[in-house]
Amino acid sequence: MFIQHIVGLFTDPMRQWEKIREQHKSAEGGSVAHVFLLAAIPAISGYIGTTQVGWRIGVGEPIRITGDSAFAIAIIYYLALLVGVFSIGWVIHLLGKAYEVEKSLSLCIALAAYAATPLFLIGLMQVYPVLWLNMLLGLPALAYTVYLLYSGLPIMMEIPPEKGFLYSSAVLAVGLIALVALLAMTALLWGMGLQPVFTN
Amino acid sequence: MTNTETYNYTVVRQFSIMTIVWGLVGMSVGVLIAAQLAWPALNFDIPWLTFGRLRPLHTNAVIFAFGGCALFACSYYVVQHTCHAKLAFPVLAAFTFWGWQAVILLAAITLPLGITTSKEYAELEWPIDILITLVWVSYALVFFGTIVKRKIPHIYVANWFFGAFIVTVAVLHVFNSAALPVSFLKSYSAYAGVQDAMVQWWYGHNAVGFFLTAGFLGIMYYFVPKQAGRPIYSYRLSVVHFWALVFTYIWAGPHHLHYTALPDWAQSLGMVMSLILLAPSWGGMINGIMTLSGAWHKLRTDPVLRLLIVSISFYGMSTFEGPMMSIKTVNALSHYTDWTIGHVHSGALGWVALVSMGAMYYLIPRLFGRELYSLRLVEVHFWTATIGIVLYIASMWVAGIMQGLMWRAVNTDGTLTYSFVESVQAMHPYYIVRTLGGAFFLLGAVIMAYNLWVTIAGAKGVEVEIPEPAAAH
Repeated sequence: MFIQHIVGLFTDPMRQWEKIREQHKSAEGGSVAHVFLLAAIPAISGYIGTTQVGWRIGVGEPIRITGDSAFAIAIIYYLALLVGVFSIGWVIHLLGKAYEVEKSLSLCIALAAYAATPLFLIGLMQVYPVLWLNMLLGLPALAYTVYLLYSGLPIMMEIPPEKGFLYSSAVLAVGLIALVALLAMTALLWGMGLQPVFTN
Repeated sequence: MTNTETYNYTVVRQFSIMTIVWGLVGMSVGVLIAAQLAWPALNFDIPWLTFGRLRPLHTNAVIFAFGGCALFACSYYVVQHTCHAKLAFPVLAAFTFWGWQAVILLAAITLPLGITTSKEYAELEWPIDILITLVWVSYALVFFGTIVKRKIPHIYVANWFFGAFIVTVAVLHVFNSAALPVSFLKSYSAYAGVQDAMVQWWYGHNAVGFFLTAGFLGIMYYFVPKQAGRPIYSYRLSVVHFWALVFTYIWAGPHHLHYTALPDWAQSLGMVMSLILLAPSWGGMINGIMTLSGAWHKLRTDPVLRLLIVSISFYGMSTFEGPMMSIKTVNALSHYTDWTIGHVHSGALGWVALVSMGAMYYLIPRLFGRELYSLRLVEVHFWTATIGIVLYIASMWVAGIMQGLMWRAVNTDGTLTYSFVESVQAMHPYYIVRTLGGAFFLLGAVIMAYNLWVTIAGAKGVEVEIPEPAAAH
């Protein structure tokens, strides 16, 4: 079921958003369980990339992380992705008050989860962790996620596109702030000694 | 009784036009020096074209020339309209324009020649500093003189922000620029050692807090409700966050001096005050966003509203990022890296420049009695600017984190993993992306300049009569 939705979001996003909405409004309800599967893609890819392939900064031998350390990071990464998607969904639900829409929490989480699909899928590139290449591939994925958010939100929430533009911008701003918080938290933990263990 | 007195639009028009001109100049220099960081050969081995000379020219041009002219123009317009009074002291008002342009011109000559005090954002030498002081005192007289003349008992909140900005910048400038001249073009700071550093960053951070924040919040509080066509979301919130903001900002400077010779308690105090600052900053953001949100149905016809929404969103983002970066442990990684440059530009491009541009789209057609030439071009400007900001910030985040991690990486025997030049080499791709981002933003500004130029070409300035205040006042 979710595979169809995902394919549809790339081939005919508008129609697919409507289908997702109708499914979540129906009696049996929609599920967002596929997020648990999708979030594993970047986590596992990152584990393989950092332990087996490694990356280079400037010149010198490739840098790798020890298996134990990478495993711990992969778990935290997986959890952080899940927390990220569900909390953005929750924020969409909360922001509904300001934009005068009342939608179920599951529908809001579905919006966050399906919009983030391109980012989850491109997570596969972390198998080969070359920063500039990852940026080159990641940016179009990010752009498509933003497009999905802006196109999907008015459809899922059943509001006019202009109102949707504001609502989506607020969601995007919250997303950016969450990203900055993540950056700061990483720097904080790293500074307190919780850093990855590199192989020599 | 009929009122035949008109608003003083002449000085507002002059400052508005120069806002656009200096914006183009300052941003072009910015793109040039960004390109120099990616391709150093672009300084052509000419001393006055080197990064060290042009960087202060860029910062002075965008902050004080572009931002300054926008603040003068908007504050003079807003104070007249919200007080129903013509500007006080018209001669002094004209002096503020010509004096400020002279300051800018002198900066554009002295900085490339390498004549500098070396104090960041206060590089101009003492004779120019004296001219700035004279202009600024005149500005205060004109602004507060107009408030005194007001026909409306209430002082609108935008004027509180402008007033705080004018008073505080005067105090900051005089204290930080105190110096002992040794010749006409050389002086030494009145303070020594770490005290000099502390005074410098007390000034430096409040240049951000009052010049680039309080003043532009004044702009937001007038032009956002005007463009949206509805009152501010919460007037009470605006007053509360005004007092909280002006009280807290003045203490935040020491976060620029973490892990330096500055006493540790002062660093910690600066960090705590920076964290508290999040609350008043977000008060302003929420007020702006909620005011605009009620005007969603106007978005289809008014792309200027989009510009303002993005601007306030970036204000919210960068005022969240700032407190995060002031945390000492985070700062240990982020300081001296390009993360800081990215943070500054998310505020400067995202917030300050976009809100100024939004205000100019409102102001310039009205000052010349014309309709804006093309809304379609505003939309194009909106997208090029937004893409430019995103490229800029994203590349600087990656570059900054990478620098921080590379600089602190050590081998098991305690030696540094990377030499400094290796970290410089690793920055090359991100510096190219940054240059591209800056070029996009500049392109947007060029589109705006063209749009406004066609709008006012051949037009004469309008004279607008000051309306009598409604009886309810």
